[in-house]
Amino acid sequence: MRSIKKSLFTVLTFVEVDTRRYFRDRLAIFFTVIFPLIFLFVFGSLNSGDNSVSFRVALLNKSDSEIAQQVVKQLKDGGILNINEDATTLEKAKELMIKSQLDATIVVPEDYGTVKEGEVAPSGQMEVIYTQNNDESGAALASVLKDVSSKIVPVEVPFTVKTEQLNSKSLSPFDYTFAGLLGFAIIGMGIFGPINVFPELKKMGILRRLSTTPITVWQYFLSTMISQLIIGVLSLSIMFLVAIFVFNLNVVGNWLELIAFLVMGTIMILGIGLALGGWAKNERQAAPLSNIIVFPMMFLSGTFFPRFLMPEWLQNISGFLPLTPVIEGIRLIATEGQHLWQIAPQLGMILAWTAVIYVIAFRVFRWE
Amino acid sequence: MVEVRGLKKRYGDKWAVNGIDFDVKKGEIFGILGPNGAGKTTTLEMMETLRPIDGGTVLIDGIDVAKEPQKIKYIIGVQPQSPSFQDKTRLTEVIKMFAAAYGEKVDPMKFLRDVDLEDKAKSYVEDLSGGQKQRLSITTALVHGPKVFFLDEPTTGLDPQARRHLWELIKKVRDRGISVVMTTHYMDEAELLCDRIAIMDNGKIIAIDTPKNLIRALLKRGFKKEQHVEQANLEDVFIDLTGKGLRDA
Repeated sequence: MRSIKKSLFTVLTFVEVDTRRYFRDRLAIFFTVIFPLIFLFVFGSLNSGDNSVSFRVALLNKSDSEIAQQVVKQLKDGGILNINEDATTLEKAKELMIKSQLDATIVVPEDYGTVKEGEVAPSGQMEVIYTQNNDESGAALASVLKDVSSKIVPVEVPFTVKTEQLNSKSLSPFDYTFAGLLGFAIIGMGIFGPINVFPELKKMGILRRLSTTPITVWQYFLSTMISQLIIGVLSLSIMFLVAIFVFNLNVVGNWLELIAFLVMGTIMILGIGLALGGWAKNERQAAPLSNIIVFPMMFLSGTFFPRFLMPEWLQNISGFLPLTPVIEGIRLIATEGQHLWQIAPQLGMILAWTAVIYVIAFRVFRWE
Repeated sequence: MVEVRGLKKRYGDKWAVNGIDFDVKKGEIFGILGPNGAGKTTTLEMMETLRPIDGGTVLIDGIDVAKEPQKIKYIIGVQPQSPSFQDKTRLTEVIKMFAAAYGEKVDPMKFLRDVDLEDKAKSYVEDLSGGQKQRLSITTALVHGPKVFFLDEPTTGLDPQARRHLWELIKKVRDRGISVVMTTHYMDEAELLCDRIAIMDNGKIIAIDTPKNLIRALLKRGFKKEQHVEQANLEDVFIDLTGKGLRDA
């Protein structure tokens, strides 16, 4: 009992000094707190705009009929079209389309909306001009315009489609992005932290000196883990605050469950850092191996873009990466309000990886 | 206090340490001398549990180093060749951490006072001079009251004032009854500081005795040095001009 108490005293003293040291180190604060926040702002502002489709078009109206004016006004107010005011001539519009700054050009011809010879009602045909790689927007735009035109002249259509909006809110792109960014921050702390620090400590002989004292590997790991968790809680809380107050993230899940899950995920990912940093004798050994392990996770686990965008075979593989269940679990709890027992597959995978990773980390650790 | 018998270490097919025997008594300063690559540091590292022993035994206070390294760690203190500490750590925190590594809580100021660093207590370690780092390192190695204290080339790179100061510190440690085992390249240091020395070459001990006896034995063999009857040397001049006061405040 006494020896357990002593062991914990060792661990807690190391945690205390490590934590104090962290708050004195501006660079460390930058990489663990500010850096993920920058990513949060960049990806947050990319994704938080309204997610309705919007076309960038030039609108060239050559007709001065009343109907033409009405159509143009409808298009401008409709919100679907983002009309470029600079493109006033067809030449200019074509140039912008080639540069992909415009999706299409809508031309309202001179005779649009006038009564033509031999007809009783006004008629007209708008033109949609688009480039080769904009087939889809061209087609979509054509149907939008049909819709607008039909509103001017009511036509009875026998078969119609009735739309109904579901009350439940679907996940916004930001919900996916935010879970991914948390994953990115966890990787940053858990893997890049030890990878940068351990080899340096070995080079300076600090770990070697420590190994002449009775401190054990598990005490050293535990103290590193606790101090990283303290930093992690700080960094992730700031991210949550920014996401909630700036980007309107709506956390529907239970906060306690979410925190417990984040702690488990962080401990597992930190094990990867401990294994890599503990094994590497110097930075040259640490860098390539960590890149091999970190980059696939960064791109395939749903950090920067959701996994459902990947082909199925890749989803099957990336599902087994350690970071994947962490990101999915965060999203399931935070934005879908699921409980820990409902995400058993993710939890199981995290626990399995934790066991595997820490067995490896203890085996490969070297004090010098 | 320390018994070394037939100690061996092999690197590849070369015996870095090839069967050495020596004893270190309680409260003496034992120096290990030798040219680079003689096996001094390797010998020290095997005694410090840092390197596996390939042959022979080391007993410290009756405990076998190879069999019970964890027990040994509680009774030895180690001063590495070039001590370094993590940046942004205060001196008091360094002492606290090292004491905690042994599961002990100590008064850091007492240990800083032992090595004249009490006025640096709140400084960060990166603001210390080389000599101050050595002194901090010595006191961290003694936080748990070890019985044997190992130092690897403790005064390499220090100025004459800092060296002298360190010698005094090491003598104080010995006078507390702690056995000191150290390596050095400086013959003046060995002569002035060490109670007994072992001279190593190619992994073997080729002479072991007090510095005085070794010199006497050499003279007996008919060795003659060109006689310079000078009452002082250049170092005496240097110390006379610059004083004994430490310069790293």
